[in-house]
Amino acid sequence: MLARIADSMFWMSRYIERTDGIMRMLKVNYTASLDKSSGAVFTWRPILKLFTFLNEDEIKNLEFDRRAVMKYMIVDRINENSLVNIITRSRENARGVQDHITLEVWGCINDFYHLVRQDRMHSLIEKDEVLQVLDELMKQDLLFYGTADITMPREQGWWFMNIGKSIERALQTVDLLNVKFSDLSYDINTPADTPYWKYLLMSASGYELYVKTYQSGLNGENVLQQMVLNNDFPRSILYSVEEVFHYFKNLRSDRNLNNFNKVHFLIGKLKSKIEYSNLESISSQGLNHYLDEIRNDLIGITNAFNTYYFAQQ
Amino acid sequence: MENLFEHYILPNDIWDEMYANHEVREHYKQLFQYLSAVPHEELQNKEELARKLFMSQGITFTVYSSNEGIEKIFPFDVIPRIITASEWKIVEAGIKQRLTALNLFLKDIYHKQEALRSGIVPSDLIYSCPHFLREMVGLKVPHDIYVHIAGIDLIRDSDGSFYILEDNLRTPSGVSYMIENREITKRIFPELLTQNQVRSVTDYPTILHKNLVSLSSRQTINPTIVLLTPGIFNSAYFEHTFLACFMGIELVEGRDLIVNNQCVYMKTTTGLKQVDVIYRRVDDEFLDPLVFRQDSMLGVPGLMSAYRKGNVAIVNAVGNGAADDKAVYNYVPDMIRYYLNEEPILKNVPTYQLSKDDEREFVLNNIHKMVVKKTNESGGYGMLMGHAASEEEIDAYKREILKEPRNFIAQPTINLSSAPCYIEGKLQPRRVDLRPYALFGPDGIELVPGGLTRVALREGSLVVNSSQGGGSKDTWVLEKY
Repeated sequence: MLARIADSMFWMSRYIERTDGIMRMLKVNYTASLDKSSGAVFTWRPILKLFTFLNEDEIKNLEFDRRAVMKYMIVDRINENSLVNIITRSRENARGVQDHITLEVWGCINDFYHLVRQDRMHSLIEKDEVLQVLDELMKQDLLFYGTADITMPREQGWWFMNIGKSIERALQTVDLLNVKFSDLSYDINTPADTPYWKYLLMSASGYELYVKTYQSGLNGENVLQQMVLNNDFPRSILYSVEEVFHYFKNLRSDRNLNNFNKVHFLIGKLKSKIEYSNLESISSQGLNHYLDEIRNDLIGITNAFNTYYFAQQ
Repeated sequence: MENLFEHYILPNDIWDEMYANHEVREHYKQLFQYLSAVPHEELQNKEELARKLFMSQGITFTVYSSNEGIEKIFPFDVIPRIITASEWKIVEAGIKQRLTALNLFLKDIYHKQEALRSGIVPSDLIYSCPHFLREMVGLKVPHDIYVHIAGIDLIRDSDGSFYILEDNLRTPSGVSYMIENREITKRIFPELLTQNQVRSVTDYPTILHKNLVSLSSRQTINPTIVLLTPGIFNSAYFEHTFLACFMGIELVEGRDLIVNNQCVYMKTTTGLKQVDVIYRRVDDEFLDPLVFRQDSMLGVPGLMSAYRKGNVAIVNAVGNGAADDKAVYNYVPDMIRYYLNEEPILKNVPTYQLSKDDEREFVLNNIHKMVVKKTNESGGYGMLMGHAASEEEIDAYKREILKEPRNFIAQPTINLSSAPCYIEGKLQPRRVDLRPYALFGPDGIELVPGGLTRVALREGSLVVNSSQGGGSKDTWVLEKY
């Protein structure tokens, strides 16, 4: 496979996953923002800090304005990280690899692109129908995954798509946790309002699994356990990194063993790091530090792909 | 119910594809009956469906303005254009004949130059042509084939006979629309399609692929064939992906290729892989910055050296522009007589060469009845339509002609034939041309029965180019009539 194609497949898929992660994150916070909590007023500050490039003044202007934040995050053309721009980038990548994805997959991305650009999206947000907008758009992600799964041949392109997707998903889960735990100064044991945990789990499609696993009600410790360490949960960090490892193994070839080994080492190291950690070890080194380290490792792995797979000379 | 044909008003002196003296032609009768009976809404729904299908499959081109890409569909008219079996027979034979002669001509000018020496074609015309490339002189190409793919444009004058308008022998485009338009028709008029026994066009990618494989110089069962595209910003990018997809070949950009030791390689995730055949959709002048335009980022440095060495085949051959130059066009009938000893089956449109004093004078005196074209431009750019231009436009154009007469030709305004189109809820006649696609391989020349019918959607317009408000139609070649 052409190095450029591998690069584009990787990013096409990453961007789709990123829209999914951002939408889940928006959904959980939007829902939470509607609940009258006993404490302070709901602020969008953590999200704006993590997902946008706005400066302090701009954040101050936006942080309590639900509608403006939604517009900025979903349909704004200037915000580089708005959904509309991320989807456009995914589609630009898809256009460059049209002969390596099935017609159905291309159709999905294309429909997604046309949908998010409809003027209707603006007016729905204006009318506070944000959840409808998010549901409609999230359905496009589901369609994409389903379509890709049943139509894409299991060869290099598919592996790169899945590697990109899983790296992005791990990053999104790290960020989702960062948003909430930064509120709590990264203290796992601080009690937080339970509805928030509920929305978080629901947005990650993990609520059912959670209540089946833990009978003791909602708390940060168990949420963390599930979101980071449960490898039966498809959005956990461990599961995502295992997926990267699994799909990467397919790329082993005698023609590039040297490069393969270098990247393999990085992924294996991260996988073990997560596998052999538990709540105690996370606590003792500090959750903040733990999440940062995972984040940096994931970025390091992406850089290694750039060097050893996407920039062939 | 309002009759859809109420507004079908035919101008005089024009061949209409559907009507002959207010009678519907035999081969249009089934379509006519259907259209006379179909409810208005249904046709509108079909049109809407076609638009959605094009949009959702991304069969679009992007116009970039103020940093924002705007998706446009190449306008599609739902009413098919129908060609009978006997008409097609003439078109097919005529194009095969013409292409054979043009290919021999290219081989000739890059080798012995007999046609130039015997004065069939003036040598100064060839030497002054910017597309005649010295790099090609003496170079032997596989099977002596230069024009692997031709998209020759035909029009019909008021007497109904076909004329050759242009020979496109470089990188003709539009074939994906021939195939996609048919796919859309299968969705919107399945009944009509089978009733009429329309011949299939789906074989095109298969034939092309077979021909590309035959060009590999390496003795290998699985030669590496690539399609070289300028990239996603090219207006024909959809077509490039379409063809690469259907042939199962790699779609590459210049930056994916590298020349090493006069062999071409592509950069893959597992290192370099040798390339045997390049179907390029990049123009000659951008192919190799070491030989042609130095500022080109689209090509591959060293490509020409690999080509000259015979280590890679390039399709179409480099330097074909010397044969489809608009000033050379006039000599094609003579080429046919000279190389094949046959009379041309398809006629040329009478063409005046403005480098000749008497012809130039005649054209300038009758400019209102003329279409003047630049010899090395295509896509409908740089044209003067004498009957529609203002006096200022004509004066400015005349001055340009006098500066460099070699660069211009003129043709009398030709009445393109008209065909029914569904426009704003009514059937109206609009002018059409026809571009069939011919594939030249070691087994000879093959034409897929069909082609691209381009249509000038503006009322009264004679310009069918998509850059000038043209659209397209599905083109049916029937088994019968």
